Amino acid sequence: MRFLIVLALLLSFGGVAMAEEIPPKRDTANSATDDTGAALVAKAPKDRDRTEGKGGGLALLFWACALGAVGGSIFVITRRNMIAAVMGMVGTFIAVAAIYMLLYAHFLAVIQMLVYAGAIMVLFVFVIMVLNRPEDEPWALVGIPGKVLAGLAMLYLTVRLGQTVWSVRPGAEQLAAPAPVTVTLGFEIHKDEAGNLSRVQETESYGWGSTGAMGKSLFHEYLFPFEAISILLLAAVVGAIAVARPWKDEDSPDDLNDDVPTEVVS
Amino acid sequence: MNSILLDVGFGHFLVLAAVLFAIGVAGVLLRRNALIVMMSIEIMLNAANITIVTFARMHHDLNGLSFALIVIAVAAAEVAVGLAILVAVFRGRRHVDLDRLNTLKY
Repeated sequence: MRFLIVLALLLSFGGVAMAEEIPPKRDTANSATDDTGAALVAKAPKDRDRTEGKGGGLALLFWACALGAVGGSIFVITRRNMIAAVMGMVGTFIAVAAIYMLLYAHFLAVIQMLVYAGAIMVLFVFVIMVLNRPEDEPWALVGIPGKVLAGLAMLYLTVRLGQTVWSVRPGAEQLAAPAPVTVTLGFEIHKDEAGNLSRVQETESYGWGSTGAMGKSLFHEYLFPFEAISILLLAAVVGAIAVARPWKDEDSPDDLNDDVPTEVVS
Repeated sequence: MNSILLDVGFGHFLVLAAVLFAIGVAGVLLRRNALIVMMSIEIMLNAANITIVTFARMHHDLNGLSFALIVIAVAAAEVAVGLAILVAVFRGRRHVDLDRLNTLKY
């Protein structure tokens, strides 16, 4: 297992090194039409022979991340030791953050590392330490027919989803750096020499997926969902404390009439 | 075969998300420990997030990234409440075995 982890690390470093060797493709003639997915899909087949063999480092990076994500998640659902399962989950989350990086969603990758690999993992480890009980029989389905049936169902689901989404043709061009986005900020009042006031729409240009673009998008278009999320998090924290608070009578917790907690804040 | 390995496109990311989602579904269906089931739910949320980000990148759209951020925040809230419920259940019953937590069924 340790050998596999070291191998994955080496592969990802090699992928980074190879990706940096590739000169960034600047296709200025086509970048204006690259903005829509339809143009990409239509353009992809004729681009494939032109970009053949140039995306090797990125491809290696992608396969390393995919291997880490799938291997980590399989590790999660097969381990009996729950700390090992959490470590597999951390590997999955880090690999997913790297995949966000490959998709140029840099801000989201950082948030993924902070929230998932930081906060949620720590929460899981704490709860596992509290409930430190080995499992009696980890698998729900006992018997060969149930396992075969579940495996076939999972295979069918994977194959059908893969068939559906595989219609998007692959092309190395798609992983090139995206064009910057123009974010609309609002109106600004301009005054020319004659004293006439005019409203000019103010826009700024940011790299796609960068912190600036995400911030402008979140605090202009999505300000209300952003504030709603803060209320949701507050309600979740209050609810979690209210649910997990120790009750007065520890030995008979089924007695739900006992509404008075032990630590009453006076 | 060589082109599938080398020409990594958006389809690869979508298939990866599908595989991760299937693994998460398998974990929810197969495991009996509630903690492992919650981890599998997290994996499924991550798979959905990869799909959202891939389509946002495909259409060169920033709104998808905001959706993904909101999904991450909701997942954090869900984990907090779910783990609190698990701690409360464990305090009463001394196990979190989902096959034995069937009192609400009857």
